[in-house]
This record gives sequence, structure tokens and C-alpha cells, in this order.
Amino acid sequence: MSGQLVRLAWRNLWWNPRRTLIAMTAIGLGYAMLLFVACLMAGLRQQMIESGIGLLLSDIEVHAPDYYPDRPVHQTLGGRNGTDVSALLAAIAADPRVQAVSPRVYAYGLVSATHQSTGAQLLGVVPDLEPKVTVLQTRMVIGSYLTGRMPKGVVMGDKLATTIGLDVGSEIVLLTTAVDGSMGNDLYTVAGMFHTGLDAMDSGLVLMPLASLQELLRLPPGRIHEVGIKLNDIDTATTTAAALETQLSKTLPVRVRPWEELAPELADYVQFNRRVTFILFSIFFLLAVMGIVNTMLMAIIERRRELGMLMALGMRPVQVVGLIVAEAASLAVASLVLGGVLGSPLLWYLQVHGLNLGREGGAVSLAGIVVGPLWYGRQDFTAYIQAALGLGITALASALYPALRAARFRPAEALRKV
Amino acid sequence: MQITKEDSQRAISMQFWSRGEWNILVRILQPQEDAGTAVLRTDDKTWIYLPKSNRTVEMQASMMMTSWMGSDFTLNDLVNQSRLTNDYAIATSFEGQRDGVTVSEYTLTPKPSAAVVWGKIILEIRQADLMPEWQRYYDEDGKLVRELSFSDYKTVSGRLIPTRLVMRPSDKAGEQTAITYENIVFDAPISEEMFSLRKLR
Repeated sequence: MSGQLVRLAWRNLWWNPRRTLIAMTAIGLGYAMLLFVACLMAGLRQQMIESGIGLLLSDIEVHAPDYYPDRPVHQTLGGRNGTDVSALLAAIAADPRVQAVSPRVYAYGLVSATHQSTGAQLLGVVPDLEPKVTVLQTRMVIGSYLTGRMPKGVVMGDKLATTIGLDVGSEIVLLTTAVDGSMGNDLYTVAGMFHTGLDAMDSGLVLMPLASLQELLRLPPGRIHEVGIKLNDIDTATTTAAALETQLSKTLPVRVRPWEELAPELADYVQFNRRVTFILFSIFFLLAVMGIVNTMLMAIIERRRELGMLMALGMRPVQVVGLIVAEAASLAVASLVLGGVLGSPLLWYLQVHGLNLGREGGAVSLAGIVVGPLWYGRQDFTAYIQAALGLGITALASALYPALRAARFRPAEALRKV
Repeated sequence: MQITKEDSQRAISMQFWSRGEWNILVRILQPQEDAGTAVLRTDDKTWIYLPKSNRTVEMQASMMMTSWMGSDFTLNDLVNQSRLTNDYAIATSFEGQRDGVTVSEYTLTPKPSAAVVWGKIILEIRQADLMPEWQRYYDEDGKLVRELSFSDYKTVSGRLIPTRLVMRPSDKAGEQTAITYENIVFDAPISEEMFSLRKLR
């Protein structure tokens, strides 16, 4: 019966191809626009999060309770005695939501070339682990990223290097106050430089192998300041952080913070972006809904006589409602498929080529976030499916009112009119 | 120099040479891991020689303002103290008896052009022999940050000087850094050549 109903509904739709095509185009284009907006907004969020968190922070960070944000050198995880780092990393990585972990050591020190020197943040990471958590290795402009084979090789921001006249291969002295108060100093070689567009990093960060920085600071291998964590899904940061804090605190006093706490201004920005997306979505949605309601209502009024005839031939009101809802459903599905077909190349283009916002190579740094010059889209399938379901349900709901009206037709009257 | 932290003690022994107001040379003798490290203050620059790296490095202003070898003194305190009159305007804020001693209290406020970190400095001097008693450092909000007190006044080579300086940060009770002069010679013949980068090594 239902198969027959759908076939009948489908045939009815093509009774008047022009009307159906116009409706399909309206809904389809509406859906394509929603896809477009969702893709761009997801891309913007992605770019903001990636540059705000992915370069230096991470989705979640684990510290000793009094470490953040002042970062005193002696406040290592586990205090003076340190902790079993590999066991800690394994305990964190055991959580199924965790994708990768990276231990880190921080210090502030003087970077000195032959004739000039400048202050910078020193960050010690494990060369094989850090690239799984952050993406700084993709921003190398000259030379190479850290490797385990070059314990004295360091990587720094291009502006920092230029300021004190350094090239790849240059020898530098790093000077800092070690944890015991002594003057930690040693010679290193510049292995490479990165450019991120974030001034704080480009002109103030030196990256080096974790063990080398521990040696410079006179920290034993068991003393680290931070564990950076990358999650499979960044949206679970808050809940995962809370769970990890509870779990790890059983053996080690820790504070576990999600990125929203580490970069609150970025969290506000992302929230703002979500709201803007919602408003744009609502506007396009409303347009699409009006198109559907209008089409369905007109279709019913135009077909009064036909529906009256069907009822005169013995079709029950319930079946009339079923027929019209089936028509609306078919129309919605066909329209969404059309919209998807029209939208896919656009989404593909946005993701691969991006939208060019400005001059070549000119990225804009906004509130510590690098955007552009190319605005890349990102596939947000959750939003696509939500939009499709929303439009589909709206199509059905908006067919219900005309259908109920049609079901109340009295066959004789319906036949006489028009 | 005796550094007392919440959970640790550390002693550093240093040798100072100075010529006029502007030339200062400091060499660390103990502990072993820092021995040979030397700081040179010339007219407007501060250099540090690092024996481990065998390099001489020019110090940045930001590093001069941070803790020197884990103590409560900064490198700036050690080599730029004589510049107070350059950077601050001095006003007398009290004169009279305190604890039975006739003293003068001065308030130093930074001159508009001075690149300094303190909001103001208040210091007290005994009127009888012009010896300093204490020096208090305040931040820009007027909050006391640390206090330097002088004691053990002794006559060395015919000059009266305080031979013990104790710096106490006000936010860390129980922590302090004391500097004690073990031996001082005034008017020793020191050539200008002493204060050159070549001699720093």
C-alpha cells in the first residue's frame, strides 16, 4: 500500500513538472546555501582553533596545581621529586578519547648570537611526540624541525632569528636560571625557523629537545612542567579534562585544563562564531520553509477538483492526507538530493582551494588568531544532516496543514468548484 | 651571598671590582658549577662571561630585572645601584627621631623618562653618620614588594660602611637573600683595562 502511495505521489508531482521543478529548485538552492554557510563557518572555526590552539597549546593541558599561569621553573609535575613520565603519559593515553600526548618543559631565557641577544620563551618537547599534538612543524620556512638525532639543534621564530642576526646553522648561547639557581648556559645550533603569523611566537619562542632543556635547567628526566593532549574530538575537551583530573589526582596532584580555560578569548570567539552561524542558518531556513509551505498549499488548492474526484471514487480522508504527505516527502527528498548535487562541487572547492580574502600571502592576525588570506571551508557533516533533517521535517509539517484541509473537502463541493 | 628559600639554602661567593661609578666587574668564585662566571658593567652595557660555553653575552634589560642566580637580588641591583640618582627624583618625607635615632627618610619617585620597574622607593638614613638603614621598594600600585635592610656597620680603610645587606620579598615569608662583605679594600689601584671584554674571560 505504502509503495503504491509513494508511486502515486511521485506521479502526481510530475503532473505539473514546472511547478514541481520550481519548488525543487527553491528548496534545493536553500539547502545548497545552508551547506555553503555551514562549510565556511566550520572552516573559520577550524582555522581559529588550529592557529589558536594547534600551534602551541593543545586541546587539554596537564600541570602541577600551582604551575599555571606563572610557570615557575620549580613547579614541575610531582613537585621536587618529579614523576614517572612514561607511566603518566601511558595513563593519559589509555583514555579512549585521547589521540596523542606530548610532555613539555618551559623556561624563560636569553638567546644570544655573537653580537646581539634577546629574551625568549624556551620550550622543550620530544621531537617525535609534539608534532602529533601541535602543527608547528608544518610552519617551517627554512631548515628543518627538531629531530632526536640533533640534541643541540633548536628551532625558533623567523622574526626572533632576524632580530639578532641568525641563520640556519648559526651557533647560539642559551642562558637561563636553572632550577637550583645556577646560571644554566650552553651552546646550540639553529636547525630551522618557523613563521606562524603570531608575533608572540615568531619573535619570542625557541623550541628545543625536551632532554636538552631539562639538562640546561638542571632538571632530572622525571621533572616536566606540562603534558599537552590532543583529543579525537575537540568538543569533548571539557568533559575529558574533568575525567582525567579525577583519575590522575588519585596518584599525582594535578590541574587539568581544557583549551577553553587556557585560551578564554578564543573560546569566546568560537562561541560568537557559532551564534553567527545559527542566525545565518535561521534566515536561510526560514526562506526555504516559506518556499515549501507556499508550494504545497498552492498545489492543494489547485488540485481541489482532482482530490474531490478521488474522494468521490472512494478514497478515504486518511488516504488523502497520506497521499499529500507522501508527495511532500518525495518533493523534499528530491530537492535535498538536488541541493546536495549542486552544493558538493562548491563544498569541495571551498575545502581544497578556499575563498581568497585578500592579497597573496597576507594573513591577518586577529586577537592572537591568524586568519586568511585564504578562507578554507571544512566539511561539517553534522550541520549538513541537521539542515537536511530540518528541511525534510519542515516540508512534511508544512504539507500537513493543506493535507488536513483537503481531507475535509466534501467531494460534491470540491467537484463543483473551480 | 646567602640565599634562603622556603625549602633550600644556597651560598654564592663573589668578588667585586669597581672603578668610578660606571665600571663594575663581578666574578663568581663559588659554587663550583658557576665558578668563573663574570659580569662586566661598562658605561651603558652589561656583559656576562659564561665559562661553560666560553662565550661572552650582552645582557638584555629584561634579564637584568629577573632573579640573579636564584636570589632575591636582580643583576640590576648589583650593578646599577649607583644610578638611583639618575632615574629618580628625591624628596625628603620625614626628619626626626625614630627609635631614639635621628633619621631622614627620603621618597624616590621615578623621573618620567626613566625605564625603571618601581613605582617608588623609600629609604631611611641615620643623620649622625649618613648610614642607610633600610630601603623599601613599592610597585606602581603603591604595594610594598621587597625591603632591603642594612646592618653590621664597620669602619674599613677609614670609611664607615654597612657590611651586611638583607633583601626580603614581602610576598614570601621566611625567604631572604643576605649579602655579607667579607673583605673590602678602598682606593686600590685598578687599571681601566681591568674592565674590558678581553679581561672578562
